[in-house]
Amino acid sequence: MDYAVRVEELRKVFGDVQALNGLSFSVDKGEIFGLIGPNGAGKTTALRIVSTLLLPTSGKVEVFGLDVVEQPEEVRKVLTYLPEEAGAYPNLSGREYLEFMAKFKARDKHELKEFVEEAAVISGLGERLKDKVKTYSKGMKRRLLVARALMTKPRLAVLDEPTSGLDVLHSYHVREIIKRYVKKHEVTVLLSSHNMLEVEYLCDRVALLNKGRIIAEGAPEELKEKFESANLEEVFAKVVKIA
Amino acid sequence: MLKGIGNLVLKELKELMRDPKILLGMVLMPLLMFPLMGTIIGASMEATKEKLAEMHVLVWDKDCGSYAKNFTEYLRSYGIRVHEVDVSKLSEAVALMPDYNATLLIEIPNGFSENVSRVIEGNTTVSAKVEVYGVFSGSGMFEEVGVSMVDALVESYNRQKAPNPVGVEKNTIVKGEILEGIDPGTVSGLMMAQSITMPLTIMMLLTFAMQIAATSVAMEKEEKTLETLLTLPIGRFTILAGKLAGSTIVAAVGALAYLVGFQYYMSSFTGMIPAEGVDLAALGLVPSMLGYVLIGISLFVSLLSALALAIILSAFAENVRSAQSLIGFVYPLIFLPSFLLMYMDISMLPLSLQILILAIPYSHPILASKAVIMGNLSTAVLSIIYVSAFTVVILYAAAKLFATEKILTVKLRMKKLKIKWKRKASTES
Repeated sequence: MDYAVRVEELRKVFGDVQALNGLSFSVDKGEIFGLIGPNGAGKTTALRIVSTLLLPTSGKVEVFGLDVVEQPEEVRKVLTYLPEEAGAYPNLSGREYLEFMAKFKARDKHELKEFVEEAAVISGLGERLKDKVKTYSKGMKRRLLVARALMTKPRLAVLDEPTSGLDVLHSYHVREIIKRYVKKHEVTVLLSSHNMLEVEYLCDRVALLNKGRIIAEGAPEELKEKFESANLEEVFAKVVKIA
Repeated sequence: MLKGIGNLVLKELKELMRDPKILLGMVLMPLLMFPLMGTIIGASMEATKEKLAEMHVLVWDKDCGSYAKNFTEYLRSYGIRVHEVDVSKLSEAVALMPDYNATLLIEIPNGFSENVSRVIEGNTTVSAKVEVYGVFSGSGMFEEVGVSMVDALVESYNRQKAPNPVGVEKNTIVKGEILEGIDPGTVSGLMMAQSITMPLTIMMLLTFAMQIAATSVAMEKEEKTLETLLTLPIGRFTILAGKLAGSTIVAAVGALAYLVGFQYYMSSFTGMIPAEGVDLAALGLVPSMLGYVLIGISLFVSLLSALALAIILSAFAENVRSAQSLIGFVYPLIFLPSFLLMYMDISMLPLSLQILILAIPYSHPILASKAVIMGNLSTAVLSIIYVSAFTVVILYAAAKLFATEKILTVKLRMKKLKIKWKRKASTES
């Protein structure tokens, strides 16, 4: 089977800290796959390696068959990455920021315009796109950044805590965007979250991460059934105890 | 009214002083830099003194009378190395000066002894003149010291003999040309203003440019935009080049403004000076067009290396504040040559200091400017070649840094270093 992302025996060591300890999982094309786990479980490190920001200490990672170590520039052409604490240039307007980002992927002016208009719809920021980013609230900034990550219809969108730090309404908006948009354009999504309920709502399949390795993997419904739990939070608590 | 201020101040102090970069940059660096600068300037003054003690003077005695001999001996008695030359023309005497490593030529005219004896006997009050020719080399603030010393010696000679039997006529030799009636002190005074302004302006420009570049990378880190940038489908070197080009454009505008200002400054002098009988342009002490181009290139290449260095350093910082503190470590490399070259010419420094100043790339725009003014274009070109080589090395290091994950993960881990050092010390003991 052709995978969108394939991770095998991935290890990453920072000095004395083992951030990833033999992590393996795969993401099918067109699915939303969630890495869930507590802070420090290794979610961000895994996503940064997939996105070519960090190099693995050992193991193999492929994105649509492209090796992230051997072909990082090719990998960057097929994915977009939304870091957890991402920001935008404060002195650019929202539209200028989107245009700046779109120019790296657009083949012509027509496509550039298409991307930016798509982002305007996704973000729902309307007239506020004319304002400088420094005047945006945290929620508005995150919507702008999610729109940036999705506007080019990447083959793979890597989203690190997409609703990080957002209030209920903004979180709801962002979740709806992801769910609706990726299905419509067949974008594969690899996301991380420590919000189990969000993941349950969004993801086709999830992997539970603890101390740099996967302790359970499957569709949310399957996992709930297997561990006789009402939600993924309960599943996680039980799995951690077993582990 | 200010309830809780003590608590706030304490918090501020803890927060600021516990940041090792601030502690190093703001407290330790000045404590080290100023004594170091004092030592270096002290050494330079010492070097000047030694140079003066070793001063060689050519005496062209056309009179050959008793007072002429007496005057020459008087100079010798003060430890001045006097070389008497027998020539028929002034230009021949001037041409001999480099052979004797002499910076001063004293011409004792015919009739000198007779004139002096007439003054001493009270038959006249018109002093016998000696012509003093000082070589102007554009070396720095203490340039006119040699001529002033002859002035002082003549005055003390006069006190020994009678009221003012000897007078001094001052002349200047610039690039082998004799400028009669022009005091080297006047030329030196005019050039001195420039020798202070130029290093100061270059110093300001370099520090300003480094701040811009460091801030631009640190802002990417602080505003959390760097990670996104690094996952875009563009080469890492392109990102570095973009940063450099952006900062360079801003810095180039600065350099251009500097050059325009500098040219205006020089032309304001040349416009003003002919009234006093000294025209720096006519003396060849104003850079030619090619000279200005060389100064511009030298400044631009130095700026580029400073920017690349600032970018490398700012990669170690997590935010703008620590990036600026880290840049502080480079400032001594800019300040030191600037201050030193205000007072001295590099040739007047001890060899070790000369090597140090030549090794610092940020000395070179000043050295190149001085060389250009003195018409020494090949020195300026060599200086540009050296700084360009340094710039290539720094750019390569910056490109390497951007090509790896280090740009995200590298940090100054002072604590870790300290622990490692302690461990090493304990295992050794």
